[in-house]
Amino acid sequence: MHGMGGLAHFLRSNRMASFGIVLLGLILIAVLVGPIFYEVSPTRLNILKRLAPPGPDFWLGTDSLGRDVLARLLHGGRVTLVVGCSVVALAFAVGVTIGMISGFAGGWLDWFIMRLADAMLSFPSLVLAIALAAAFGPSLENAMLAVAITLMPQFARVARGQAVSVSVKPYVEAAVTLGLPRGRILLRYVFANGVGPLLVQATLALGAAILQTASLGFLGLGAQPPAAEWGADVSINLDFVRSAPWVALAPGAGILLTVMAFNLIGDGLAEWMDPRRRAVI
Amino acid sequence: MVFVAGRIAAAIPVLALVLIIVFLLVRAIPGDPAVVLLGPGATREQIAALRDQLRLDLPAPQQFLEYVAALARGDFGLSLKNGEPVLREILLRLPATIELTLMAMFVAVLVGVPLGVICATRANGPLDHLLRLVSLVGVSIPAFLLALLLQLIFASYLGWLPVSGRTSALVTEAPITGFAVLDAMLRGDGAAARSALAHLVLPCAVLAAFLAATLGRYVRNSMLEILGEDFVRTARAKGMTRPRVIYVHALRNALLPAVTILGLKSAEMLGGAILTETIFAWPGIGRYMFEAIRNRDFPVIQGTTLVFALIYVMTSLAVDFIHGALDPRVRRKML
Repeated sequence: MHGMGGLAHFLRSNRMASFGIVLLGLILIAVLVGPIFYEVSPTRLNILKRLAPPGPDFWLGTDSLGRDVLARLLHGGRVTLVVGCSVVALAFAVGVTIGMISGFAGGWLDWFIMRLADAMLSFPSLVLAIALAAAFGPSLENAMLAVAITLMPQFARVARGQAVSVSVKPYVEAAVTLGLPRGRILLRYVFANGVGPLLVQATLALGAAILQTASLGFLGLGAQPPAAEWGADVSINLDFVRSAPWVALAPGAGILLTVMAFNLIGDGLAEWMDPRRRAVI
Repeated sequence: MVFVAGRIAAAIPVLALVLIIVFLLVRAIPGDPAVVLLGPGATREQIAALRDQLRLDLPAPQQFLEYVAALARGDFGLSLKNGEPVLREILLRLPATIELTLMAMFVAVLVGVPLGVICATRANGPLDHLLRLVSLVGVSIPAFLLALLLQLIFASYLGWLPVSGRTSALVTEAPITGFAVLDAMLRGDGAAARSALAHLVLPCAVLAAFLAATLGRYVRNSMLEILGEDFVRTARAKGMTRPRVIYVHALRNALLPAVTILGLKSAEMLGGAILTETIFAWPGIGRYMFEAIRNRDFPVIQGTTLVFALIYVMTSLAVDFIHGALDPRVRRKML
């Protein structure tokens, strides 16, 4: 395996990946530090100043209810990042555990779990997320749960592949022969040696999770008003977009840039794991 | 033949699980689904009738078997909103969705494959960086944002294309095939055909953008892998020209994984169709599903979800067959 120093060097030398890291850094600073300096409430209504264009009073203008677009952008960004990370953490924890057990156990359990994963992957992921979110009822937490469920089989698949290839290695067989507890073997040997590709998967999944949750928000199945969430903010302002484009374009651009940053970093990590993809002719 | 039969047999347990998942959707509703779906103000009789329609009073396994038996008879249930049979409503809207997605696939291949080849042959040059950035935006942009931008630019500001809809209101004849462009051409109505095409451009561009960008990224990567292989070096060493090696030898091999990706991602594109159809008021099954979500019309949500999954399963089967036909190694490996 490559060392962490090698990774840092690779990401620095890979222009696309370093662009992604800078972009993510800027977004993080804006979202975490921004609201401290820009002390405007994202939910305060100001009907007299509705749809005001960007200017010195409202840096990015106001929306159809007179709320400050920049304040909603900054607070919505916090929501988006928390959503992305928690969705992926949940999908990772459940998916990887199930996948590792499946690959390590083998037999009918492995067959059944993998067919279940196939079945879940037989739905376009947004369709399954929409159907689940509609069943659970519209709320941000339910939308997050729905998206996490659609991401689980992907993690389970990758984890199972890793577990199968690691579990035939002599050191794992030795550990089994020594009679070490199964849980410990799974964690210490199987997981620890297969974690690389899973991390790449997780980084790329962050972008997908944010995109999916924002889409659910846009369809009214995610965050409910008056909470600031980028996807929902685009859709509630849809009717005013022709006269006041900033109300929908600002949160839309927020989603685009954040997803792009995660995809750039994920691509860089994938390239680092697989040297065949580093340019040739 | 053995290969085809084997693939179909492998799809059966998956299909059974797909049916179970769709069936369980109603059970995932917290509380009594009948009460939740009808909302406050429903009478006892209405709740009892819905419990009966959704077969909620039977034990779960029996509910499931009756659900599958009804599906086999073509009975997808009745819409809670207007009592129409769900399957008939879906079939009515299916041609609009197929027209849109097929067109988008066609455009995506036309754009995505050359995109990937150009990037791979100029890897890490300025043009590669620019096109990679463009395709990165393509896979990262939410479909609803791209749709909004295109509507603003091409419909509102420039006025070149209609904002939404599928045909202009003037077309009143009954559909022949259900495909608006084809119908107009069959009637020999040039103006209607042009109008139908104009309505198709923006939603098609939104759907194609994601697929073209994805395809471009995959073709670039698989071209890069293949360009590093021994047979490419041998071909060059034999004195074969660079274009011939790239377009005849490398591209043919790079297109194999591209077929797989195209199949899987074009089915994934159906998810994007829900957003696109909703924004462009395109009367397909994606918009039907969106309307059903607003009304919590569960038989419709279940029906559309199932149809989307069936299209996905059939597409991936078709992709396996095409892949197997193109590459004998796949036929052996998958058996």
